[in-house]
Amino acid sequence: MLELYHWEPNAASARVLIALNEKGLDYASRFVDLLAFEQHRPDFLALSEGGQVPVLVRDGEPFTESSYICEYLDEAYPEHPLMPQAPLARWEARGWQKYVDDHLAAAVSELAWNRYRPEGFDRASEGAPTPERRHAWGEAVQGYSEERIAQAKERILLAVAKTEERLAKSDWLAGDAFSLADIAVFSYAYYLPRLFPEAVSADAAPRTADWLRRVSGRPGVKRALASGRSGDPFATAAPGPERVRWG
Amino acid sequence: MNVELYYFQPLGTNSGRVYLALLEKGVPFVEREVSGRDFEHLKPAYLAINPKGQVPTLVHDGHVLTEGMLINEYIDEAFEGPPLRPDDPRERWRMRLWCRYSENDLGRCLMMINWNRVVPTFAGDRSIDEVRKILESVPDPDRRRSWLNAFQQTTPPEQLEESHRRTREGVRKVERHLSAFPWFAGQSHSLADIDFLNFCGFMARWMPEVMNEKDTPATMEWLARMEERPAVKELRARTSFNFGPPPQAQAQPAAAAGE
Repeated sequence: MLELYHWEPNAASARVLIALNEKGLDYASRFVDLLAFEQHRPDFLALSEGGQVPVLVRDGEPFTESSYICEYLDEAYPEHPLMPQAPLARWEARGWQKYVDDHLAAAVSELAWNRYRPEGFDRASEGAPTPERRHAWGEAVQGYSEERIAQAKERILLAVAKTEERLAKSDWLAGDAFSLADIAVFSYAYYLPRLFPEAVSADAAPRTADWLRRVSGRPGVKRALASGRSGDPFATAAPGPERVRWG
Repeated sequence: MNVELYYFQPLGTNSGRVYLALLEKGVPFVEREVSGRDFEHLKPAYLAINPKGQVPTLVHDGHVLTEGMLINEYIDEAFEGPPLRPDDPRERWRMRLWCRYSENDLGRCLMMINWNRVVPTFAGDRSIDEVRKILESVPDPDRRRSWLNAFQQTTPPEQLEESHRRTREGVRKVERHLSAFPWFAGQSHSLADIDFLNFCGFMARWMPEVMNEKDTPATMEWLARMEERPAVKELRARTSFNFGPPPQAQAQPAAAAGE
């Protein structure tokens, strides 16, 4: 039996929700209310040491880190593959996932956090389970500096330049079919039309804008995006810091 | 079939992990050493091969592959030879967690600690303005900032202290894991062992106050098993740096630079 502990269908939670829905796998949804800090409760910390969603639980055993959960799902359930077959295309698909993990996730989240920062998060860092997470929350609760936001925008523009370049070669980001690469980038990029519209406008990035529309229209993606509680993932965007490069 | 590997000497961290994966897999390759101290990785000839200005780069029949962790999975998928990843999807998941931990978590702390000791010596007679000019060709803005911080010694002391704290805690975490499993992924040797050896294995020699027989016996036993592997012996024989006694001031992992 598969259970998924997740938040609204955005960011890392969206990645696994979309993968499950695209693969057509049955799972029990376990909603973790990040605004109520359920991620810092002991029962959840038993599944995720850092108190971070999503967590996939298969027959009682927890799996963390969305990139590796997605690839695990694809390897453990080979039907409806979400990874390309050829080694070179697989390398490319993993490259996009790592790029999201290392660069895009934090950049988009920082922008989203400053924009949509919910009320009552001032003491959020106190409940964080590890010094690493306390540090990350400590930065977030103050709101990110203008310099940090400028760096985030710089990274997002680089990322969009990369998708534009790649989408000139084929319709999808890795190989020639929809894959975990598209899921990883989309789970963050689909905020951009509201968050940083000039970066992904039809004029500035026509291929990326078209790709966003095509991914949004996929039935599995639609089901995943409809599985939230608020009905509007933007209203609750990025309720917490992503990991950032240390050093 | 033509395989070329562009790498830094001495063989450690990102260069060492890919070099070792090729040796373990038994893939013949052409060695293309890049000089980090001469900033060769930022010069036009190398940027024409890898515009990111990072090492290592694997070129396989004209295809250019970057990012050490991903190159290694590619090596396991594209070439014949002994498997470098477990078959069990659960162990593979665990392998990837430890690969990332070695590189991005514990490895990054060690890099911060070591960079602050070694990177300023890379400047040689160059002024900080000359260094700054060279670093303008580092394409990634985050990396550019890290380099500049290291050169100018502007890494905040509290960050350095935090890196030392994370290192001590990380070593305990690894020790617990290796007390429960023979290899990082679980029951078999994998890319995770290759990564931990290259990013963190040197601690036994360089930071013995943290990693030693008394405090981390399971890790030391794993390390001894790793050093017995023919491919690891080959790696040690081909590196420019003697991984023997602890270095004093300047003998440091130059391979950590430029990644």
